[in-house]
Order: sequence, then structure tokens, then C-alpha cells
Amino acid sequence: MNLFVAIHTGLREIGSHKFRSALSMLGIILGVSSLIATMALTRGMEEGTRTFMQQLGGLELVRVTPKEPSADMFDFAVLSPGCTLRDAEAILANAPLISHVSPELTLRTTVSREDGGGPERWTVTGVMPGYFVIGMHSLAAGRFLTDLDSSHGSRCVVLGHTVASELWPGVSPEDIAGRHVLVDGAPFEVVGVLDLYEREEDKRARQAGRKVSTRRWDPFRSKNQAVLIPFSTMFHEFLSGKFPEDSMHTMKLDALTVRVGDLSRFPAALEQVRAVLNQTHRGVDDFELDTREDWFDRVESNMRAARLSGGLISAISLVVGAIGIMNIMLASISERIREIGIRLAVGARPGDIFLQILVESVLVSAIGGVLGIGASLGLVEVLKSISPSENVPVITAGGVVFSVIFALVAGLLSGIYPGLKASRLNPINALRYE
Amino acid sequence: MSLISLQGVSKVYRVGDQEIRALDGIDLRIEEGEFVSIIGPSGSGKSTLMHLLGCLDTPTAGSMEICGREMARAGVGELARMRNREIGFVFQSFNLLPRLDVLANIELPLIYSGIPASERRERARRVAGDVGLAERLANRPSQLSGGQCQRVAIARALVNNPRIVFGDEPTGNLDSATGAMVLEMFEQLNAAGKTVVLVTHDPAIAARTRRVVEIHDGRIRRDAKA
Repeated sequence: MNLFVAIHTGLREIGSHKFRSALSMLGIILGVSSLIATMALTRGMEEGTRTFMQQLGGLELVRVTPKEPSADMFDFAVLSPGCTLRDAEAILANAPLISHVSPELTLRTTVSREDGGGPERWTVTGVMPGYFVIGMHSLAAGRFLTDLDSSHGSRCVVLGHTVASELWPGVSPEDIAGRHVLVDGAPFEVVGVLDLYEREEDKRARQAGRKVSTRRWDPFRSKNQAVLIPFSTMFHEFLSGKFPEDSMHTMKLDALTVRVGDLSRFPAALEQVRAVLNQTHRGVDDFELDTREDWFDRVESNMRAARLSGGLISAISLVVGAIGIMNIMLASISERIREIGIRLAVGARPGDIFLQILVESVLVSAIGGVLGIGASLGLVEVLKSISPSENVPVITAGGVVFSVIFALVAGLLSGIYPGLKASRLNPINALRYE
Repeated sequence: MSLISLQGVSKVYRVGDQEIRALDGIDLRIEEGEFVSIIGPSGSGKSTLMHLLGCLDTPTAGSMEICGREMARAGVGELARMRNREIGFVFQSFNLLPRLDVLANIELPLIYSGIPASERRERARRVAGDVGLAERLANRPSQLSGGQCQRVAIARALVNNPRIVFGDEPTGNLDSATGAMVLEMFEQLNAAGKTVVLVTHDPAIAARTRRVVEIHDGRIRRDAKA
């Protein structure tokens, strides 16, 4: 008996007991669809988290943050100048494993058009050119701030997409570049406009002409609201007046971020930064290097745990489905003992009978698996409407393939015992069976 | 060389701690082309003998050669092969598969010979025509009369062109007219050269065969050639 005949016979057998077959498939359908849905859910969570991580800049970024000096250093704390521009320059000059450094000074103030229209309060940030890379920005039009802008302290500004479009609604970024704005009353030339940062999903929605939901949490919000001016301009125009005792190099930074050039040498790079800062802070340990490694690790392991437990629960339901198939196959065999006897009498080998039962059981799980894929599409649609928007479930080809293979293996395993039982029947007893 | 040759064949069943000697030292030779009936009262061991001859079972002791092969110690695969290629069975209760149509029932042995579908169909159709069922190929067994069912069973027994055809009370479930017709078919088969072995308890049927082997208490009591 070849496989083709076995499949044909199996399909006829399934077809002639539709209700019974449907019942035994139900377990597989539920198992496969919940496995696919679980995988889609965890995948959605992963993508949500990945977007979030991306927005934070990835592992390469290390934030230098101030902290209380340790007790034995407390008396010397006044000797340390704290985090200043000098730190940034020293790191850039003396820590070769650091590719970019970005000191920041921020000021919340009014930005309006040259004619005074569209005034709104935004957070204006004074940055160095390295900010472009560290913040993972890209330009829609114009250019970013350069070293020359910093050294000249020129009055130029790069606007985030949201800011630009609120100042000039409907005007393209190309046309906005070159116009002027008033920052806290001082005229600045808009030299560049940043791209609109959005999630893949929002982008698709916008391109399809649908309205992008605004209730959603947007990880790119702060990037789209950027108002960036040269670091020196920020100090000289807005801050030196308020803090007359500070020079640009002694002014305490609002943020200092460095980027490690080569992740494989991450620890060495941290060492270099620490060594440089020990110099500039005169040995006072009033700073901390805030890496995301631990945080990322924790997120990763949480994700793994979610994937594992979800997968496990669905896998259990598949196993239950397989047991259902086995149960029904066993029942169907005791109903077909006479048929098996007849087949044996006309020359079926025990292996032929085994193959027939096994194929039937795999067919049930295969059909169940395919129906399960269909059911999972519906299930995921339901989940989409109730899950948090940044973690929208995503069905993956890998998840579908894995679930169906799992179902087939379950069908195969659940056919083995009934198949063996059927193939061991004695032909005489089977023929006499009523 | 005999087609079937049994020497000192015994079959012992063990029920609990009791031994039941269904066959006890049977010596029997059947030549190619013979028309033999095996008779005896129920419990005599004639069914057990037919199960052995039909390779549905193996003896406890003795040697049993069928179509030149020693089958007494054969494995399940070899027994199945013998049933498939060299032996055709016709049962009292027809033993057709109720969910298959006539053609598929007749085809059944060929499936286990690994014969391709088109040839299966072709051969099944031809044999069905020989037994006069050409018009009923698409019917289910439940739509046929008893005589027609038995003709399907005969066609199934013949489809693989076996050397031996066994009938286990083949007329037992039929009225006398159809029974006579079925018996006639066996006679024609024998006339065409097939070795035919009928198991029956009916002396009238046995009288129509050319050799009667009478079994009693597991032994051959009489072996008479007409």
C-alpha cells in the first residue's frame, strides 16, 4: 500500500465521519491558533520594545549622570567642577573608543515665526554636531549644525518636524529651510528640518490615507519636537546672562551622552571615559556611567519568559488536542476491527494497517492545522483591538510554520499507539469480530 | 510436488491452563487442480484447518508447505504475501467493506500488491465482468442481493489470479437457488484449472466435489476421492 492510497483512504474515512473528525480536529485547531496568536503577541511586544529601544538610541549610548560622591570623597566634592563642556571635549580628545560626544544645554522658551506668528513654548536644546548621530536623526531638508556654527556661535536652528509644521502648516520642509524664526525674541535662520519620525505602522496608515490615531503613545514625540541650536549660541545668547559667574566651559550640562564606536570593546571604552572623567573631576567620583546593558538584558529576559510561558500553554493545548485524536483513533479502530480483518485476509501486511492509521491521524492534524491558521487570523484581529497599541500582535511566517509542524508531529505521535494496536490484530479474531 | 502438503500438523490453543487440541497430527496433500471439500461437525477443527491452509495462522507443530514454500514458521509479512498472491478467500458472510463500492472492493487485494491504480481498475473491471457484475460497479454492498455480494467476494478472491481459492461455507448465507449458482461458479473455476477447497458441513455440497476430507476431533477420519 503506497502513501497515496493511504492518504486517499484516510480522507475518505475522515469524510465519512464528519462530526467525529471535526471534534478530534477541534483540539488541534484551538492549539494551533492559540500558539500562532501567542507568538504573534510576543512578537508584537518585542516590536514595541524594539521601537522603544531604538528611540532611546541603542546599546552604544552611555549617559554620564551626576551622583552624590562617596562618603570618603565628600569633603573634596567642591573641588569637582561637575559635568561640563570640558568633560565632553576631554572625552572626545582622549578616549579614542568613543566615536561621538554630545553635551546638551536646554531651555524652555517661546519659538515663533519671524512675524511673531505661531508662538508656542518648546524645549530649545544647545547641541554639538555629534548630537545628530547620537540622537539618530535624519534630515528632511537643509543641513544639520556644524562645527563652524558652534565656533561662530551663529544664530541658526534645526527644527523637528512637528515644530516646523506647526509654525508653517502645510509648507514643505524644503521651503521652510532658509526661513527665519524668533527664539525667545532673537532671530534665527532655519538651516535644516528633521525627518518625521514615526512607527512603521503609523507610516503605513498615513500612506494608505487613514488617520493616524492620536491616542497612541508615540515614542518619537520628543524627537519630532526638537528645536536645536549650536551649543555656544545657547550659552552666549540665553544662559550667560542668567549665570554670570559661569563660563561656557564651567556651565553645568543638562545632559552628556557619549557613543561607543565599537560595541565589542564596550568595557574598554567605559574605562577610557572613566579615566578621562577622573582627571577632569579631580578624582571626585561625582558621576556615574549609565549604560543600558542591564536594562536591555532585563527586557530581553522578560520577553523570553513571556514567549516561553505563552508557547508552553499553547503547546499544552496542542498536546491535549493530540490526545483527543488518539482517543478517537482508538475508538475508530475498535469500530473497524472487522474491516482490518478483511484487509489482512486479502493480503494487507501489519505495516500497511499501521501506515493507514498513522496517515489518517496525521491527516486529521494537518487539516486541523490549516483550519487553525484560519482561526488564528480571526483571533489575532480580536487581540489587536484589545492589546495596547504599541504592542500590536504580528503574525509571523515562522510562528505559522512552527505551529503547523508542531501539530503534524502531534498527529504523528498520537497515531503511533492506535496504529500499532491495529496492526497487531490477529486476522482470524478480527474477521470473527462482531 | 504437491501444491499443498501438510505433515504432522497440530494446532493447540491454550485457554487458561487448559490445552485445546484443535488439530492433531494432520497429514494432507492437495495437488494442483483438485476440487476438495473439507467436512465435519462444528468443533471438529475444519475451520482451524482452513485458517492454516489459507495462511491466516501458523500451526503449533508439523510442517506445512504451500505453493512450494514452508509456511509453518513463516512471519506475518510472508503469510500476508501468500494470502495476497496465491490464495483467494470467499467467506460465508461475504466480508465486503461496506463503505467501498463494488469496484473498490474487488480492487482491494491489488492495493496491497502495489499495483498502479489504472491497472487495478482495469483488472477489477475485467473480473467483475467475468462474474456478471459489470453493471453494478458503482453500487455499495448494501445495495446488492446476497448472491451478488458473494459474486463480488468471488471476484475479489480471483482478481490477483491466485492458484488456490478457499470457500468457507460460501453458500451458508444464501437461499438454495443462489447457493447452487455460487457452487456452479466454483465448479467452473475448477474446470478452468484453479485448485478449489471448500469448507462445509453440508454433505450435499461435499458430494459435488471430487474429493471429500472428513475431519473429526482434529484428525482426518476419511479421505475419499470420487
